[in-house]
Amino acid sequence: MSQTYTKKSSISKLNSKAGISSLLIFVILLLAWIAGFSSRLFAVIRFESIIHEFDPWFNYRATAYMVKHGFYNFLNWFDERAWYPLGRIVGGTVYPGLMITSGSIHYLLHLLHINVHIRDICVFLAPVFSGLTSISTYYLTKELWSKGAGLFAACFIAIVPGYISRSVAGSYDNEGIAIFALQFTYFLWIKSVKTGSVFWAVASALSYFYMVSAWGGYVFIINLIPLHVFVLLLMGRFSNRLFTSYTTFYILGLIMSMQIPFVGFQPIRTSEHMAASGVFALMFAVATLKYLQSMMSKSEFKSLVIYGGLIAAGIVFGTVVLLTYAGFIAPWSGRFYSLWDTGYAKIHIPIIASVSEHQPTTWFAFFFDLHVLVATFPAGLWYCIKNINDERVFVVLYALSAVYFAGVMVRLMLTLTPVVCILSGIAFSGLLELFLRDDEIAKPEESGDEEHTTPKNRKYDKVGRVPKMKHELNKEPDGIGPNIRTIISVVILLLLMLFAVHCTWVTSNAYSSPSIVLASYSGDGTRQILDDFREAYFWLSQNTADEARVMSWWDYGYQIAGMANRTTLVDNNTWNNSHIALVGKAMSSNESAAYTIMTALDVDYVLVIFGGVIGYSGDDINKFLWMVRIAEGEHPKDIKESNYFTEQGEFRIDGEGSPTLLNCLMYKLSYYRFGELKLDYRTPAGYDRTRNAVIGNKDFQLTYLEEAYTTEHWLVRIYRVKKPDEFNRPRIPVANRLVKSPNFVSKKSTKRKRGTLKNKPVIVKGKRLSSKQS
Amino acid sequence: MKFPVLLSIFCIFIVKSTAQFRTLVLLDNQVIRETHSIFFRSLIDRGYSLTYKVADDSTLVLSKYGEALYDNLIVFAPSVEEFGGVLNVDTLTQFIDDGGNVLIAGSSVTGDVLRELASECGFEVDEEGAYVIDHLNYDVSDEGEHTKLVVDNENLIDSSVILGQPRQKIAPLIYEGTGLLADTENQLVLPLITGHSTSYSYIPGQKIKEYPHAVGKDTLLVAGLQARNNARVIFSGSLSFFSDEFFTASVQKAANGQQYEKSGNQDVAIALSQWVFKEHGQLRVKSVNHHKAGESKPPSEYTIMDNAVYNIEVEILNGGKWEPFVANDIQLEFVRIDPFIRTILKKTQNGSYEAKFKIPDVYGVYQFKVDYDRVGYTRLYSTTQVSVRPLQHTQYERFIFSAYPYYTGGFSMMIGVFLFSFVFLHFKDEDKKSKSD
Repeated sequence: MSQTYTKKSSISKLNSKAGISSLLIFVILLLAWIAGFSSRLFAVIRFESIIHEFDPWFNYRATAYMVKHGFYNFLNWFDERAWYPLGRIVGGTVYPGLMITSGSIHYLLHLLHINVHIRDICVFLAPVFSGLTSISTYYLTKELWSKGAGLFAACFIAIVPGYISRSVAGSYDNEGIAIFALQFTYFLWIKSVKTGSVFWAVASALSYFYMVSAWGGYVFIINLIPLHVFVLLLMGRFSNRLFTSYTTFYILGLIMSMQIPFVGFQPIRTSEHMAASGVFALMFAVATLKYLQSMMSKSEFKSLVIYGGLIAAGIVFGTVVLLTYAGFIAPWSGRFYSLWDTGYAKIHIPIIASVSEHQPTTWFAFFFDLHVLVATFPAGLWYCIKNINDERVFVVLYALSAVYFAGVMVRLMLTLTPVVCILSGIAFSGLLELFLRDDEIAKPEESGDEEHTTPKNRKYDKVGRVPKMKHELNKEPDGIGPNIRTIISVVILLLLMLFAVHCTWVTSNAYSSPSIVLASYSGDGTRQILDDFREAYFWLSQNTADEARVMSWWDYGYQIAGMANRTTLVDNNTWNNSHIALVGKAMSSNESAAYTIMTALDVDYVLVIFGGVIGYSGDDINKFLWMVRIAEGEHPKDIKESNYFTEQGEFRIDGEGSPTLLNCLMYKLSYYRFGELKLDYRTPAGYDRTRNAVIGNKDFQLTYLEEAYTTEHWLVRIYRVKKPDEFNRPRIPVANRLVKSPNFVSKKSTKRKRGTLKNKPVIVKGKRLSSKQS
Repeated sequence: MKFPVLLSIFCIFIVKSTAQFRTLVLLDNQVIRETHSIFFRSLIDRGYSLTYKVADDSTLVLSKYGEALYDNLIVFAPSVEEFGGVLNVDTLTQFIDDGGNVLIAGSSVTGDVLRELASECGFEVDEEGAYVIDHLNYDVSDEGEHTKLVVDNENLIDSSVILGQPRQKIAPLIYEGTGLLADTENQLVLPLITGHSTSYSYIPGQKIKEYPHAVGKDTLLVAGLQARNNARVIFSGSLSFFSDEFFTASVQKAANGQQYEKSGNQDVAIALSQWVFKEHGQLRVKSVNHHKAGESKPPSEYTIMDNAVYNIEVEILNGGKWEPFVANDIQLEFVRIDPFIRTILKKTQNGSYEAKFKIPDVYGVYQFKVDYDRVGYTRLYSTTQVSVRPLQHTQYERFIFSAYPYYTGGFSMMIGVFLFSFVFLHFKDEDKKSKSD
């Protein structure tokens, strides 16, 4: 449709117009790809080509396993090194799309004899996919509005921090490819709604399948598309196109999504997926009514609609309730509830609330991640609402729901970002269309000038040319003088430039830290690399037995498995709350109670993260209250959160802290021998820089554990758990002895090594031996 | 070139083979060698090399360059207050922790270092001057303080592994010495010989002002400890218990006088020395094997619901030789935090035990665990870790009966489409309108 219409306009202008414009589009998208790719490389350039953070380490390990052992062995992989002693079926508990994607890239490259290590593919996968995301965003926006808006959106999403935060080089996570799949599915869906062709609906379902294989966020699609259809039905926009595309999409999508082992029967058994099937049934009901309408008289039809509709609605509702009650349909999961009630997780599922990215978003974060877009996207939304049609209903719903979800959880900012880019693209394109349209003669020069003056921004101002194509926005008020036009255009361009600067700054400063290698800057600006994590993991891999079991808080499970290759008890795949609670209980109990838990779990080493020396705030003591809460959820008799606070309700680690806290395992392991350490002349010994306090429990000994390794900056501390047979003879402590003996003073010295005997017979020469023995 | 190497290997073997019998004997004075000659003679006859030293000798060492010089230690020096040389409580406990066996005899004048050592092992020696007194069960030769006791064989520990024979066969013992107290929370302490229910431990001739530390059956005469590393310690409250005099004495209770020609002391003392120096009751696992039923080698991993076979061979040290151990109460546990299966191992041949069971329908990392902990024997503990995986994707049932309607549906659909495509391709309709529908 749009193609023909581009042609028409181009014919009126220049014969080569179509060629130039498609060349432009190609160049702009290519540049967007390159810009997006290169701005994600800060981490690689500053540090090195490594996998970041926590989850990526598992994905990397799984990918490496798949590449080494083949797909079917990966599918059947039972990882006995995770979740000791429960083990984890990796193939059935993972979204395999990411591994398959990079695995097939690896396969292809090796087929061409390009020997790239799988790690490099993993590191650079997300930046490469960001280019694909911007292309699919271009197509989506083009379907929704115009090519110009599409180019804007594509450029925005290439560099917007909200998306970069999850897709820098090394951040090898599901989201990196899932956002591409999301955008592409939406594009194909819009295309299929527009054309009503089975082909596009099938393509959309295939893309949906890829999304399901890649990320749990597919639930967003399978709820948004039915919502779109439902709203269209409410608006009376039912059409055969819609019927064809939705029914095709739903059935194929359903069957294909069930092929992913991790998803399995969820699409027909959980409440999260029920909306889609409800709309599917509704679709048929409406289609039947439409058909009947053509055969019946008006009054007959009216009563049929009312009674039939009521009865049908009742039956459907009743069935769902009944099935839920009978247990065939699982009720809403806890994670889903927490989307509606932000306080829910904190009370019922502390493990979800403990993750920082599951916290509600602050206002600051919106600006930080989206900058000017957050202000312009309502304008784009308004444009869409004003010029509503079938597909714009979709983007409106997408925007509204994504805004809500982004407000609930920081993590879901990611789903908001694409729609913000789309709508801002529409808004900017609308604005430029408004203010650059009339000066058709002056404009080429103007934009040419700008290209020279601000080469950095040239991908935006070119866009101005595209909206010249006739569009439905024809009613433009006259009376805007050329000066105002120029000023506003310059202001817009300035804004865009600021946006680009902001994006680069945020990317380089906030989102490009691998978080396993830390950097600190000293006064003269030299950079110090703190490589404590890898130091500790390397130590573990070299100095412990191959089957040694390492207990740590679940955050570090994937890293230990990935870098140290040791068995872990809990990891970032938080599927078993009670097992995590057991570890939390061990950490928050005193040493002897913890020891019984640790021997039951065959723990060999305990690893804690301690930031008190360098002032690293993400350490275990700062996370400690979550351990207590999670432990309390499962063992309310043994662990009480209130015991860890002072009477004033403060969480203090200094002398006024609660005795329970000062004697729990985590505290002791973090601060063992820290009381002897004097960091500098201004502070006393045992001064914790993270919490700015002198620790309250300084001189203590560990009974059941011994320090095995502490890294250079004390960031990671590893302790060995003593085996029961090291407590060889339970001795009677002096205090418990019934028979008190006087304190014995040794008479031995370095020179006189002779011992002493009572009643020693003294031999006097000339006398008979006259001693008796007892 | 080769010859010295072979020689040195040979030497190492010689050292190893006699390793168990190097014994250091610490004495109050050399006289004890004579007064306890029967006991020492029995040791020498059994192949021990005894090194006698006076306890305050300034050259005493137990190990050199980290190598233990002795395997066993006998302390027949009750009055020692401080050992000579480098010996002190720390080095002695270290000796035990390194696996050395210790036999200690105290007396009513037990010195502080022995008290300290006793506390390290989980028992206490009653205060200085105290004797075990029993006004009902004393020997006829007692001198009026009722401290020379006659101990019936029912006060011995009921373990023929330690005593070498059933306790009923042993003649009454003579005992004169102090009482011991055991830490009630210490599960490793063995009450080898206890006092009668009428006995107590106090300083004879003094008025009883305080409640005695040890009363009745709680009064231990000889206590033993088998530490978690299987090192053995025996602490006797009496040195004279091991003396030639008591070995050869006749026993007759003053109250009701059945007379025994010879006391049981010699039998018990020698049996105890055999036990404490690990001549008796030392077990070991010779081999462990596990496999799926019908196979012979251990698989890399089990699948749930497999039939597993577990074999263990247990041996006991008998007269310096490892021989098959025969018992009918060895259990196997299949543990993942909790035992999922607990079964008795059946004897297949001498010393070889087997269990066959079906692995539970729960995947995870399991351990085959044999924990055989019986009085008198060293602890037999063997764990073998295996992982149990869920079914592979090819191992599920391919055709499920209840799914037949769906199979029919699928195949009929395929046939239908196939036929329909023929109709669609070859059916020519005259009317074009109906086609466009």
